[in-house]
Formats: sequence, C-alpha cells, structure tokens
Amino acid sequence: MTHDLSPLGRVLRSSTTEFVVGCQDLARVPTFGSFVKVQAHDGVWVYGAAYNVLIDDDPFVRQIIGNPHIPREVALDQKENRQTPIEVEVLVLGYARDGLVHQYLPPQPPATLSDVYPCTASEVTAFTGQLSYLRTILFTPQIPADELLAANVREAYLRRGGDREFLVEAGREAARLLKDEYDRLKAILSRIRPSLFRSSTPEPARRRGVT
Amino acid sequence: MRDRQRIGTVIQGSLLEGLTAKLEPSASVESMRVGNFVVIEGQKKQFFSLITDVALGATNEQVLLDPPAGADDFANAVLAGTSTFGTVKIAPMLMLDAEPSLEDQGLRPVKTVPSHFSPVYEADEDDFLRVFQEDTVSGVERVGKKKFFEIGKPLNMEVPVCMDLERFVERSNGIFGKSGTGKSFLARLMLSGIIKSRAAVNLVFDMHSEYGWETQSEETGHFVKGLRQLFGPQVLSYTLDPESARNRNVQPDGVVVIGLNQIQVEDVALLQEELNLTSTAVESSYLLVDRYRDRWLQQLLNMDAETLRDFARESGAHPEAMAALKRKLDMIGRLGFVKEHVDDSVIDEIVRSIESGRHVILEFGQYNNPREYILVANIITRRIHDLYRQKTERYQQTKKPEDRPRQLMITIEEAHKFLNPVAARQTIFGTIAREMRKYFVTLLVIDQRPSGIDTEVLSQIGTKITALLNDEKDIEAVFTGVGGGGRLKALLAALDPRQQALVLGYAVPMPVEVRTRTYDEAFYRAMGHRERDEQRREAEKARTELFGE
Ligand SMILES: Nc1ncnc2c1ncn2[C@@H]1O[C@H](COP(=O)(O)OP(=O)(O)OP(=O)(O)O)[C@@H](O)[C@H]1O
Ligand SMILES: [Mg+2]
Repeated sequence: MTHDLSPLGRVLRSSTTEFVVGCQDLARVPTFGSFVKVQAHDGVWVYGAAYNVLIDDDPFVRQIIGNPHIPREVALDQKENRQTPIEVEVLVLGYARDGLVHQYLPPQPPATLSDVYPCTASEVTAFTGQLSYLRTILFTPQIPADELLAANVREAYLRRGGDREFLVEAGREAARLLKDEYDRLKAILSRIRPSLFRSSTPEPARRRGVT
Repeated sequence: MRDRQRIGTVIQGSLLEGLTAKLEPSASVESMRVGNFVVIEGQKKQFFSLITDVALGATNEQVLLDPPAGADDFANAVLAGTSTFGTVKIAPMLMLDAEPSLEDQGLRPVKTVPSHFSPVYEADEDDFLRVFQEDTVSGVERVGKKKFFEIGKPLNMEVPVCMDLERFVERSNGIFGKSGTGKSFLARLMLSGIIKSRAAVNLVFDMHSEYGWETQSEETGHFVKGLRQLFGPQVLSYTLDPESARNRNVQPDGVVVIGLNQIQVEDVALLQEELNLTSTAVESSYLLVDRYRDRWLQQLLNMDAETLRDFARESGAHPEAMAALKRKLDMIGRLGFVKEHVDDSVIDEIVRSIESGRHVILEFGQYNNPREYILVANIITRRIHDLYRQKTERYQQTKKPEDRPRQLMITIEEAHKFLNPVAARQTIFGTIAREMRKYFVTLLVIDQRPSGIDTEVLSQIGTKITALLNDEKDIEAVFTGVGGGGRLKALLAALDPRQQALVLGYAVPMPVEVRTRTYDEAFYRAMGHRERDEQRREAEKARTELFGE
C-alpha cells in the first residue's frame, strides 16, 4: 500500500458535520467511502469519509460541449488542470488528538484552505479500531448512507490487510444499529461479505474509479 | 483475576423463576448443556448456579421469517449474538460474599439475585473444589473431622465431587434411575463409602444377591467384588438360600430361617397386592390371632376344610374369606426358609452384629421376587425397629454417649413395593421413612419407579442420587419436596444412560451432575482393600523396616 502524504486538495467549505474539498486533479480525488483527514486547529485531526463528488461545469465547458470534435488535449486538460475545482463532500466521522481517536464530532470544523490528506493504512487501522462511527454514517440524513457504510467498511477491510474478523465485527455493529430494519441490514451485509473480495482484485477500482 | 470463560450476561429473572442470561456471541449455544455449573459474579456476591434451560432468541421477527441463506457463514456469524442470540436459564443455588468479611458466612442458600448485567462464567476447578469439598453451608455445627466421600467427577472436569456422609446417613436417601443405569453400582459405592468412613452401620436386603460377593458387570463382562470381599469380616453375609450360596461357591456367615410364629398380620397385609388378598380376608386373620396368638398362621395352614368352617362359624368370620385366606397363605408355608416354629435367635444375632457395628447383607438367592422379599424384610426390620426405639428411649433418659444407638441405614430395593401410598401407611418402612430419623435409623431406597413411592415419604428423603429417568411421572417424583425443583427437571432426562447421575439434597451443598466413580480395582484400593499377595508383601516390608533384613 502506497502512503501518499501529499495533500489531495484544500477545504472549500466546512461545517461541524461535513466539509467540502476542492481538488484539481481527478486522479487524486478520494474514492467513495475512503478516509481523509484535515487538521482543524492545534493537534486536532478531523477524520471523514468521502461520500459525494461533484464535477461542475465552467463557462468554457459550456461553450464547447456542443462541438462535435473536441481536441484530445482539451478533454485531458479538463481532467488534470481544471478551472473550477472538483468538489468532494466529506462526512465528518470523528477526530484524533495526541494519538487518541474520538468517534464523535470535533470541537471546531477545519478552516477553509486547510490541506486535506488521504489517510495512511495505519491511520485507518487505528481509527477503525472502534466502530461506533458507523452510527454516524447510518443515521446521517440525505446521504446514500447504506452504500457509504458498505464502501467505507470495504475500504477499511482492505487497508487493514484483509482482516475477516473486522468485517464480522462491522457487520455486527450494523446489526445492532439496524435491529429493527432487517432488510437494510441484509442489503448492507451482502455488500460487505468476504466472498466479494475473493475473485477480482479491487485494487484498481479503489485507486481510480469515481463511483 | 482468574481466566474463567465468560459465557454471558444476566439480563432478567427472579429468585423464584430463575435468571435469564444472554450468551456472548463467542459462546456457542451448542456447548451450553443443561446441568452445567456456572458462576455469576454479582457486585457483592458470587452466585453458584446451574443452567436449567437453553433457548434461542431473536431481536426481530423478520430475521426468523427470512433467515440468511444456509451457506452464508458470514451473515450467520454477524447475526449470532446480535440479531439472533442464545439465552440460558440459570437457577442460582448458593451465594458467597465476594469480599470476605468478618461476618462472612461462607456458602449459603441464595436469598437474592445478582444485579443486571452481571457476568456469567463457566465454573472452573476452583469453583468445584470450593463448593463440593469445603462444605461450609451455614447453620451446621460439627465436631471432629467431616466424612467426605467422592461420588464422582463433574461431566467436563477432573476434580472430585464430594458428599458429606454424616449428613447423608442422618436422613433417608434414594437411588433412582431406569433399569441398567447403574443404581446397584451407585449403591455399592455409597455403601463402601459409609462402611469405610464408619458413618453408619448398614443392613442390606439384597434381593438379587449382588452386594456381598462377586457379580458380573454387564458392560465389561468382568466380575466386580462384593462388600464382604472388600471389607472382610466387618461385613457379614447372611442368606435365605444356602443352596444358591453353595452353587456360587460362597461361604455365608449365617442362614436366616423364618418361623410361622414370627409372621404377623401386618406382614400379610403388606402382601395384600402380591397375593391378591381382599381386605375382608386380611381382617379375618385378626380373628385367628385373637384365638391362637403367635400360632395363628401355623394353625390356619394346618386346618382342613371342616375345621376351617367350624372356626368361621364360632368366630363369626366370613367362611369364603377364611378359605381364600388359607388358600393364598399356603404358599408361605411352602417356602424353603419358613419353618413352623423358630425362636428369634438368628434375627437377634443379626441385631447384635449391627449393635456391635458390623454390617449385614442378607441375600435372597432364589427367593428374589417381591413376595418373599417384602415378607422377610418387614419381619426383620420390625424387630430392629422395636430395638432402636427402646435404645433411643434409654439414651434420651441417660444422655450417656455410650448409650447413643449406632446410626443404622437399611437398604431396600424395589422400594415402591414397601412405600407405595397404601403400604407406606401400614408398614414399618413407612414409619421409618417418616419418623425414624429421630431413632437413628434411616433407609436407602433403590427404585426404578420413584413415582410409585408415597409423596410424603418422597418429601422426607434427604439426598437423592438419580441416574437417567425418562418417565415424566418419575422425574416429577424425584423433585417432590425440592424447592424450585421443577426447574431442574430437564437435567434428569439429559443424563447419559450409564454412569452419570444427578445428586441433590441434604448431603451436597447444591445439585450437581457427576460421572459416577468407577467401581474397579482403583476403587477397591481406595477403600483399603489389598489382594492377598499384596498384603503379604506389605507385611514383609513393614517387618523389614522394623527389624531390618
Ligand atoms: N460406577 C460404575 N462402575 C462400573 N460400572 C458401572 C458403574 N455404573 C454402571 N456400570 C455399568 O452399568 C451396568 C448396569 O449397572 P447396574 O447393574 O448398577 O444397573 P441398575 O440400575 O442397578 O439396573 P437394574 O435396574 O437392572 O438393577 C453395570 O453392569 C456396569 O457394567
Ligand atoms: Mg440393580
């Protein structure tokens, strides 16, 4: 697993419960469900999961969108060097201070223009040592919560080196949270079951795809 | 902290109904067995308890309506302990202060329940040792050394489960179980323990001639030793059937004969069912007693039809009933061990042996059916009963320790024949079961149909050692007089058919399932028995140690 510690973008807008990252390069946009972190103030690192990516148009795109022959360089430029940033919406899951993980909202949101980083494998492992953050995902309105939870758990599973026990524990946490919503639970379980990882290597999808 | 396996968490319950605990996801329902010994760590107390039921639960009906597909281990693993979970019913039995204090009372009966969410642990060896060896149930003062006897081991552990033999012999006891479950072997074990520890002197009415000398084990085909062989002349073997003894090559210490003069109406009344006698017939025997005293039976059996009619006319008896009585009692006169007139000398000899602390086993040989068994056991026991009454009354006057009668335990098989609701009111055994505790005589009843025994008698039984029983009524009967016993019912039907038993009552601090101790060479040695050549070697060794080569 590569540890890419250069920032993937900067905070565009933020609130206590979520923030939006502006990215320039589509290749570096965090995948759906993956963990990112940003420093809020001294020593507080806010952790979140990317749950939505917005690629907005700009006046130039509007102008040429109808053109039957768009030069390759122009299309490439739209991916790698955009006028308007790609917006990545991140749900705040908790924070870490002095190496201690807290799975509840941080005291302050990150300031705009703060650098946002992808989390390393060891940070993911440390953060997912507890699972009460899954509650935040499941019960946040107006996000694709079940899909986000499944994607996030799959991501954590891989970054933890394929730890089946983790999948079971995450499933159990979901089962406890959804004790009255068995259908939702079943749908989630079918999206995180270990057999999904056996046949294909999900590595490329994780690095590239924007769900 | 000890690393006992945590199996669950108390979630609800009451003292009367028992507790319910939710199992840990890691604890498999399938390894929870009814009868398992568990310990609940309350805030201030430990509760020593038994699992009495195991159940499956689900937080949501939906899960049950639409279970995960059969092969989906992942979903099963996730749901286990969350949406679906196992629960166990737990009966707390004893409690112990977690923090020993000055007024620490040791183990005592439960008076309360542990608080919500107290953890439940599988008992470990220390727990067993604590409960079944250091018997500290409060309220019992004891002098001298306690007499503990290992009856077996828990089902899943290698520690001894011990009974307090002094408590055991203080009350009447029962050994129950279906045929072939090991009742006779259990009786041999208990009798050995009592003989070895001198907790009581025994009189055994040995219906199938299996306690004195060798008998064959059904399972191994080997012969096992009898008590006469294990304990030598401390145990005397009497027989009703010297011929059977001769055929088996055993030398009885005495032969019992019964005189018609020793048979009383009470004995005949007890045989009412066996001989198919009407109650009018039994009543008319009193008319014979009025005229002939202790020769009544002899006279009756000698009457011809005419004298019988004359007697009926003169005494006002019903002639038909008289005739029927004679016809049916004729069988007694024909028994090999019955003589016209016998003085009390053999029975008195038996009584004297008992008084001197020697154990007596009376073999029935060929007379191994209930008729003869009931008759003889009743006659002999009546004599002993009279004697113990007198002795106890003397002791109560003098209060001298040397006048204290020796504790006596009488073993009877097919106990329901003596102690069924009708017989229990008429026979000496009923009296002993109900009140003779005060007179230092108790019973060890062995039976495969405890439901046939009078409930009043059952509730007087102190300690019950029960092997497998299937019949609902029999199981019910075992728990007669046991507080909260209903909860333990499932335990009995879950026992293995051989060499497993549930022990409950006065001689154990709490009910416990055991793998019964094996009656074999190792046991003989534990009882102090040595083969001849071994004895010689030991004597030789002792000699050389004393005097040198
Ligand atoms: N403690 C034991 N030690 C060794 N063998 C045992 C023991 N308990 C039971 N057995 C085996 O089980 C067989 C049956 O036991 P036992 O004769 O005591 O049964 P039972 O209940 O008295 O039967 P029944 O009702 O026919 O009298 C024995 O022959 C022996 O092989
Ligand atoms: Mg038997």
